[in-house]
Amino acid sequence: MKSLKKVLALTLVMLMVLALAGTVYGKDYPKKDVYVICPWGAGGGTDVCLRALCQAMGEELGVNLTVDNITGGGGIVGHQAIANAEPDGYNIGMITFELSTYLSLGTELTWENYDLLGRVNTDAAALSVNAKWAADNGITDLASFVAYAKAHPGIQLGGSSNASVWHIAGGYLEEATGIDVEMITYQTGAAAAVKAAASGEIAGVTVSLAEASSFLQSGTLVCLGVMDAERNAKFPNVPTFREQGVDVIYGTWRGMGAPKGMSAEALAALREAVAKACQNKTFVEAMANLGQTISYLDAAEYGAFLKNNAEAVAASMKALGLNQD
Amino acid sequence: MDFQLLLSSYASVFTNLQVVLMTLLGAFGGILLGAIPGMTATMGVALLVPFSFGMDLIPAVGLLLGIYCGGMYGGSISAILIHTPGTPSAAATLIDGYPMTQKGQGGYALSVAMFSSFCGGIIGALIMTFASPVIARAAMNFNSGEMFMLAVFGLSVIIAISGRSVVKGLISGFLGMTLCTVGLDPTNGLPRFITRSQTGLYEGFAFIPALIGMFAVAEVIAGVERIVRGTERHAVSHEKITRVLPDGGTIGRIWPNILSGALIGTFVGAIPGAGGDIAVFVSYGANKSFSRQPEKWGTGIPNGVAATESANNGCSGGAMIPLLALGVPGDAVTAVLLGAFIMKGIQPGPMMYVSELPTVYGVFAALMLANLAMLLVGCAGVRFFAKIVSVEKTVLYPIILVVSLLGAFSINKNVFDLGVCVGFGVFGWLMNKYEFPLSPILLTLILGPMCEQNFVRYMNLNHGDFTRIFHSPIAMTFLGLAVLSILYSIWNQGRINRLQAAEAERA
Repeated sequence: MKSLKKVLALTLVMLMVLALAGTVYGKDYPKKDVYVICPWGAGGGTDVCLRALCQAMGEELGVNLTVDNITGGGGIVGHQAIANAEPDGYNIGMITFELSTYLSLGTELTWENYDLLGRVNTDAAALSVNAKWAADNGITDLASFVAYAKAHPGIQLGGSSNASVWHIAGGYLEEATGIDVEMITYQTGAAAAVKAAASGEIAGVTVSLAEASSFLQSGTLVCLGVMDAERNAKFPNVPTFREQGVDVIYGTWRGMGAPKGMSAEALAALREAVAKACQNKTFVEAMANLGQTISYLDAAEYGAFLKNNAEAVAASMKALGLNQD
Repeated sequence: MDFQLLLSSYASVFTNLQVVLMTLLGAFGGILLGAIPGMTATMGVALLVPFSFGMDLIPAVGLLLGIYCGGMYGGSISAILIHTPGTPSAAATLIDGYPMTQKGQGGYALSVAMFSSFCGGIIGALIMTFASPVIARAAMNFNSGEMFMLAVFGLSVIIAISGRSVVKGLISGFLGMTLCTVGLDPTNGLPRFITRSQTGLYEGFAFIPALIGMFAVAEVIAGVERIVRGTERHAVSHEKITRVLPDGGTIGRIWPNILSGALIGTFVGAIPGAGGDIAVFVSYGANKSFSRQPEKWGTGIPNGVAATESANNGCSGGAMIPLLALGVPGDAVTAVLLGAFIMKGIQPGPMMYVSELPTVYGVFAALMLANLAMLLVGCAGVRFFAKIVSVEKTVLYPIILVVSLLGAFSINKNVFDLGVCVGFGVFGWLMNKYEFPLSPILLTLILGPMCEQNFVRYMNLNHGDFTRIFHSPIAMTFLGLAVLSILYSIWNQGRINRLQAAEAERA
């Protein structure tokens, strides 16, 4: 009897140790819901992209990913919150293009403050001009625009708020073509700039094709070129800058980042989840509706991309006089 | 105008049980969220956008518009009962709404607000249904110069909302304008009155936390002061609410205010980039100016509530026009709605009226339905809401304080904003104590950024030549209106002060 009890006790102890071992060594990340920081407001482009992505990542990880919007300071507050979060594997966030501008704006925050999980999306800048203005000045393509701009320096283009991705696109345009344009700021966003271009207040905009799409379809605006490697699937008639002999690829990007110092296991699981989510059918559909392009890069490639992006953006901001140092 | 399609769209929306239920749910949620300071309709719409991913477009739009319209009315509940606008668009409602509550007419004020909201919303939705292509074409002419002059016209309302002393009102207004300059300059991103490390102030003082501080927190501080001094009197409301809608006599007196408020609201809402928060002040100022008894405005009359509440709900109809026809959102809620449309694969813009006409008519119908749903839910709630006034103050104030701070925090999830909220609370309390009106500060906080951004952009566009604005007929009309409004308001205020002095002598 006594030995039976001993055996039982021993078995139980073994079981408990095994169970414990399971929690320590087993493949058991994640154990609870993951908290995801969005540095931009609810309902905006980044927010809807992130929420759709989190749905897909949740299916991969088997837990919920809850999105919280920590906003303000042109995205700096939220980006800082991701970098400062507890690196326990349950705090991650979406990082966006603006991160590449923060150093030039006089803060310390760069892509090196994060452990990267993967790039999710890119959308190229495009040069769209008022159709009537273009016709009046004999502008039909990028070459005739550049020729006109060289003869008439200071063409006014719109590009969303100050130091935003589309504002900086103007700097890329200047550097790549050697022309001199004047970027006008529309603080309330790309939609206001597009409307201003359509009404003729400014000659054109440097926003993405998706943001100008309705006025492009109605013929009020014409797109002279997109700063992408390939043509856009929804606008197959719009040529790229490269096709027209101007070598520039530029646009906005979004990806997932985590605070530095996470366990290797959590990092690997999250990276895999991002990779798989980018192929998730529902997510692919949602992104197609949003007019956002999925362009996944794994953490290493993403890091190399961000390094280049940060340097090029800094140079462009300098050209536009946007740097504060 | 395709009437066949219009009718069938209305019929399919009103007979679709899912759409009706979703809209009712939205209106219920919107009224509740709107009534809580800091929980704005914007937040409700944003929270429910992911929830609506799985739905068809029209039920999803019904839900979101329900919240939008419900929130517009809901914001007035706390403005009327506890002197705190639940949403920025209800900011002008408290000028007359709260004095009504102090006179023991809180329930009456609520029913006037609800009825006016409903009428304003319906008028706005009708105008949107029948005139939006025309209005959208006109809206294209509102560029930076016109927007600047519109803001100037808006600022001219300061005098009408100043109360007894125009000088004190102007001082308040200047203070508000000065506060707007804090933060990164919106055109070039240069820091003003801050250092690079103060990220919480990059975009200036966060508006909603400041609004909550100036009204809710200031009210709590003043209340605690009264309790400590023993001057607080417990006001059990003996008001008998026999009917949830205003009686025929009241409607007879307020209908001109409702009509003009709705028209002003729709007009302002239709301008891309201007929203309900501006419309309510313009409507209040205009209605006061044309009133035969301007001295009664601000003392708690239903006309004041009617003029503002019809304007903010009229605005929801107007705001749909630039949203659908130009793809430009007029305020935070419509910006989120824009995201919801895009999520469904529909890009609002000039092609909307060509390729997506059934959707456009569906949205018209859903907006109409949302206003009806708001009326239904609102009627059911008036008796309950009015009870808030009877709550013991020592219980009520702590609750208001906690809810307010929670609201101030939840906008950006930024602890810094709590400091802004409390700071503005003390500031608002001091202003009240020395009888400086708070409404002008609020108005300048709303219009200041609009003024500056459009002015600087206009100067950049024209290489510093401001005189070119004299070639814009729209801008000149606004300038003329602003000058007239200032001169008339000054004269009117003098008359009001004489009338009030005469009344005081008789009493």
